[in-house]
Amino acid sequence: MSSETGTITIMLSLFVAMILAVFHLPEWSPDWLAWFRPSWVVLVMLYWVMELPHRVGMVRAWLLGLCLDVLLGEPMGVNAFCLAALTFVTWSIYERLRMYAVVQQAVFVFGAVLCIELLKMLLWMQFLNADFHMTFLWVAMASALVWPLVYLVLRRSSKSTGF
Amino acid sequence: MIALLVISSLVFAIESYTASLEPLRKLLATIVVPVYTVAELPYYFSGKASESIASRNTLNEENMRMRRRLLELSQITQQFISLREENARLRSLLGSQEQVNTEVLIAEIIGVLPSPSRHEVVLDKGEQHGVYVGQAVVDAHGLFGQVVEISASTSRVLQISDPSHAVPVQVNRTDLRMVAAGTGRKDVIELEYVPITADILPGDLLVSSGLGGRFPRGYPVGLVTSVVVDETQSFAYIEAKPSAALDRSRHVLLVFSELPGLTQ
Repeated sequence: MSSETGTITIMLSLFVAMILAVFHLPEWSPDWLAWFRPSWVVLVMLYWVMELPHRVGMVRAWLLGLCLDVLLGEPMGVNAFCLAALTFVTWSIYERLRMYAVVQQAVFVFGAVLCIELLKMLLWMQFLNADFHMTFLWVAMASALVWPLVYLVLRRSSKSTGF
Repeated sequence: MIALLVISSLVFAIESYTASLEPLRKLLATIVVPVYTVAELPYYFSGKASESIASRNTLNEENMRMRRRLLELSQITQQFISLREENARLRSLLGSQEQVNTEVLIAEIIGVLPSPSRHEVVLDKGEQHGVYVGQAVVDAHGLFGQVVEISASTSRVLQISDPSHAVPVQVNRTDLRMVAAGTGRKDVIELEYVPITADILPGDLLVSSGLGGRFPRGYPVGLVTSVVVDETQSFAYIEAKPSAALDRSRHVLLVFSELPGLTQ
């Protein structure tokens, strides 16, 4: 397995995650569904840090987060910090995470996304006069629910490219 | 880790209080454009597909309908031209400034922000087409929003229904001035601080008043749908339905207003 194909797989999966992050639902879909958007980029990032900790560094995660900030039209630095912090935390316990069953990992995902979304919302409330909303809980729930799927798909793709 | 936290906070703070990071943001925005483009592809193709497999009959019908509409509109335009001349003449008699013509640029919506609490769209026209921050955006039916961020070839538009958006309006019937604020729902805007004694009725048309200099005067903003007067409150609770098709338009117009000194 050459490192280039690995890098391409990682980049491609992150690109797809970003597309999913801004893909808007068709008009006929129910309104409430929009609140349950998993944080795709966080999930994909988490998977790669867990599987290939030496490949995904904190600075790269930070830069990706910066792009995400601009993509979502949010103040720069917030998603950047969140992704870097996630990488840091995952990095320090990746061996344990690997041993976990997928359901246990999903619980970790739930906690991580909950922290990130809560931090974001507190910042919005502080600086952008946003109202308190339960979105963070729905996002965390949706993220935990789709985690097994993300895990499976990324595992397949990384196995098929041979590493 | 600590270093990244410090850098993040610095970036966040610098961006909140100064404009010195604008170039960086524009650069990154240009880089991430493909993501929006790809995310819109399914809708683009489904639109194309439904166009190309439409039956001859449907197309004929649509053609007929459009011809009729064109005829109607050109008739209205004829009247409009003479009315405009007359208006200008009367204005000059009154000694007030003649209203300038406004130019428009057609733009296509290439991205919609997925968050249900923020109503923003991304357009395919940017700095290189002369778009500027604060520019008013209208669609075929009424006022749509304003440009809040630009990159080289795209721009981000805040819609009038966003909870952080407000637009100065007046009632077309009585010229009563007020402010219409977004509610976070695409089909409702709210009129703020209207006294309960104000003369306003369901069905009244709200047009942009041009106060504040950001939006040009006279574009339809919404139709009043409900007026709730509670005698114990000082302000009435008034809802309106935006005229613009905020969640259906694919093409919008960027308005270049030529009021000197007020555009920026």
